[in-house]
Amino acid sequence: MPDLGRAALVTSFLLLVYAVVGGSYAAWRGRRRLAESAQNALVAAFGATVVAAIVLLAALARHDFSFRYVAEHTSRELPLGYSLTAFWGGQEGSLLLWLLVLCGYSAAAVLTARRAGREVIAWVVPTLGLVGTFFALLLVFVASPLATQVAPADGAGLNPSLQNPYMAVHPPLLYLGYVGLTVPFAFAMGALLARRTDERWIVATRRWTLAAWAFLGVGQLLGAHWAYVEIGWGGYYAWDPVENAALMPWLAATAFLHSVMIQEKRGMLKVWNVLLVVLAFCLSLFGTFLTRSGIIQSIHSFTQSSIGPWFLGFICVITAGALTLVFLRLPLLRSKTRLESLVSREATFLYNNLLLVALALTILWGVVYPLLSEAVTGTAATVSKPYYNFFLHSFGLPLLLLMGIGPLVAWRRASLRALGRTFLWPLAAAVVAGAVLLAAGAGSSRIGVIAYTFSVFVLASIVLEFARGTSARRALGGVGWGGAFSSLVARNRRRYGGYIVHAAVVLLAIGVAGSSAYQTVREKRLHPGNSMTVAGNRLVFRGFESRLEGNHRAIRALVDVYRGSDYLGRYRPGKNQYFAEDQISNEVSIRHDLLTGGDLFLIADQVNADGSVDLKALQKPLVNLLWLAGFVFVGGALIALWPDAREERRLAERYEGAAVRA
Amino acid sequence: MARRGSPARLIVALSVAAVLAVFLVYTSLAGGTPSIQPGQLAGHTGKVSLVGKVVGKPSGDAHAGGLHFRLSDRNGAASVPVVYKGSVPDLFKTGREVVVDGTLRGGVFVAVPNTLVTKCPSKYTPKK
Amino acid sequence: MSAALVGALVALSCVVVVAVPFLRDPDAQDDRLLRPGEAEQRRLALAEERDRALAALQELEFDHRTGKVSDDDYREVVGVLRRRAAEALRAVG
Repeated sequence: MPDLGRAALVTSFLLLVYAVVGGSYAAWRGRRRLAESAQNALVAAFGATVVAAIVLLAALARHDFSFRYVAEHTSRELPLGYSLTAFWGGQEGSLLLWLLVLCGYSAAAVLTARRAGREVIAWVVPTLGLVGTFFALLLVFVASPLATQVAPADGAGLNPSLQNPYMAVHPPLLYLGYVGLTVPFAFAMGALLARRTDERWIVATRRWTLAAWAFLGVGQLLGAHWAYVEIGWGGYYAWDPVENAALMPWLAATAFLHSVMIQEKRGMLKVWNVLLVVLAFCLSLFGTFLTRSGIIQSIHSFTQSSIGPWFLGFICVITAGALTLVFLRLPLLRSKTRLESLVSREATFLYNNLLLVALALTILWGVVYPLLSEAVTGTAATVSKPYYNFFLHSFGLPLLLLMGIGPLVAWRRASLRALGRTFLWPLAAAVVAGAVLLAAGAGSSRIGVIAYTFSVFVLASIVLEFARGTSARRALGGVGWGGAFSSLVARNRRRYGGYIVHAAVVLLAIGVAGSSAYQTVREKRLHPGNSMTVAGNRLVFRGFESRLEGNHRAIRALVDVYRGSDYLGRYRPGKNQYFAEDQISNEVSIRHDLLTGGDLFLIADQVNADGSVDLKALQKPLVNLLWLAGFVFVGGALIALWPDAREERRLAERYEGAAVRA
Repeated sequence: MARRGSPARLIVALSVAAVLAVFLVYTSLAGGTPSIQPGQLAGHTGKVSLVGKVVGKPSGDAHAGGLHFRLSDRNGAASVPVVYKGSVPDLFKTGREVVVDGTLRGGVFVAVPNTLVTKCPSKYTPKK
Repeated sequence: MSAALVGALVALSCVVVVAVPFLRDPDAQDDRLLRPGEAEQRRLALAEERDRALAALQELEFDHRTGKVSDDDYREVVGVLRRRAAEALRAVG
């Protein structure tokens, strides 16, 4: 069995090499059959990788400890579901997942994105093949998930924090995002290599980019949710390098999604767009490198592994190659269109781009700072929350405001008078909200008030956009309010889907502001019968209970929560003691207040031998808005992604109409 | 009226300059925290991030009076006593590699509360 | 045994899939990968320019109707955009 898997990986590797070599030759010399053959090789590589993946999954399902990977990441008592998701619990399996997703995306993209044009696809194939070859090379020669050994009696077990539904889903979602960014990258390189100056590659990859970006966003939110409920320190984001590793490419991809709109509407920023997609892809590779190489002192980092130098080398090759190609094609990318006014939607998008890229780069700087400072001064220095928060506020708050300003500004040039009129209501709403908040005591956090008022401004401008659009559509006649609304959204799916995504970001901002700027934290040692108060909630400790489960012992502190005279329920924060893994995990207890959107977060910090508990309680206002934002985000992205028959017809006429005529 | 030349380039240049300025202001004021091992503590008087291995038996109570333990270099050469108050990660035990912020005072490393973080040596475990 | 058989099948099908373009068309009359010539590239660029101009006009109308663009601004810009669209339509032919 392991031989089958290893042979499949070698087959995949050979196919990908063929795709690179044969595909490049075919594209260069213009050989149709060879180009098709190279394209088929990508599809076949997907098939071969699936075979290898099935071999590993089967071994995981049967707890076949003769596979070293299975022995390292599962144990006899591990339930089937978690045994399967242990696939991506370790380094080698994660690399296989990367390759699997990459081959899947590659096959699907080249088969369906025909609109990009045959000669572009001819170059896209070797580009995708090159990235795939790198991962296949690692899997075959450096870090194989299918290595065998003498089977031990039992495996080491899966880390308890990973035995959680969120962690089961989080890596694949993230990978669908990370790896998905390879598609627009490959098409951009393909277009440059084929010397194309038109927008076909953007139109062809639009949905792929949006989907990858959405997966990356949702994957991160799931990761944050996991950290919140499973690790349970009371927060959801720690600015750890591994978390930043996913945030940076997401920010770059967000910038890219916006700037391609400018290229489509006005034909500007061609060079900037290509550089952005290269940046997003390189950050995505860098992110994978960060998570796997242990090179940055991270509490998340895996062992100092052998694949680090390989990744670094590959990133350098890709960056150098891409930049050289851009430089060589610079004359082709010049556009005639100029930015007409600093007050226009194009300009707003440009500011948004600059802020997003600046934020991504400052996070990058913070992540590599230990390495750089060690190289320069001999001592590694780290930056932490204050650094990241400073830049998050400096760049993030203006970005938040821009989300509200952008949609209200016209293309090309907006007169200040027109602006004044369109801004009136959102501005008024924001001012009123600010006054109310200050009166309610929110002034304790300046940043919080600013974030809230900006959020109100943006929400008001979004609502206004929908309202004005619906009213204009209705004025055209023939439909009522409902019909006008659905017709409006249906005809402009990307725009209105985008507004809904903006609304999701605003909800996220409100949730983050509330749960960080306005949270209350209390800690106290409680003996049975003692109580403590946090934000109006009285917590009474009743004692411990201990339970024996399948693979662990559960110790829980029983805490009764009261508000005034109302009994709100009994909550059980505590610890789990896992036998096989010999580890203790923190199990928090959270009370969700659905009315206010806040959480009462209880942590049994320390279980003491004398029967007392060191209880830490946090009251986090509005934190559930973060998770709500996730749903709204998905909804908006789906609307934006939804195929539009009318637009498809128009694009077909534009691009395929050419082939028919020629 | 359309401008001669592109204001886009001007915006980009000004923005880059602005970012750099904000940046330099921040890093010169706040800077990073040196990340060092116990053997290197001698020269540092300010706040540092101490990385080391827990040796010996920890004593005391982090939630009352302070947890006392010793941290040594990775190779086991030098070690320093640490006193810590606050949340203790579940993975904390003798032999684990940990990171904690604090300052050396009178031969004892006094930790900043709630900054103790453990690193799992061979398995993926994020812990706060 | 069965693993070896599966392996052989996988390898064989991969080879076949890769060879299909050559097997289907052993002596192809025209093996050229069609690259769009200068004329075709220009036509595409013009088609994109035309679509852009038309879309800009549509957006201007919509922005005007929803109040983002004032009457004066509208009057200033609509003429320019209409002319641009007409030129683009003519150029595409």
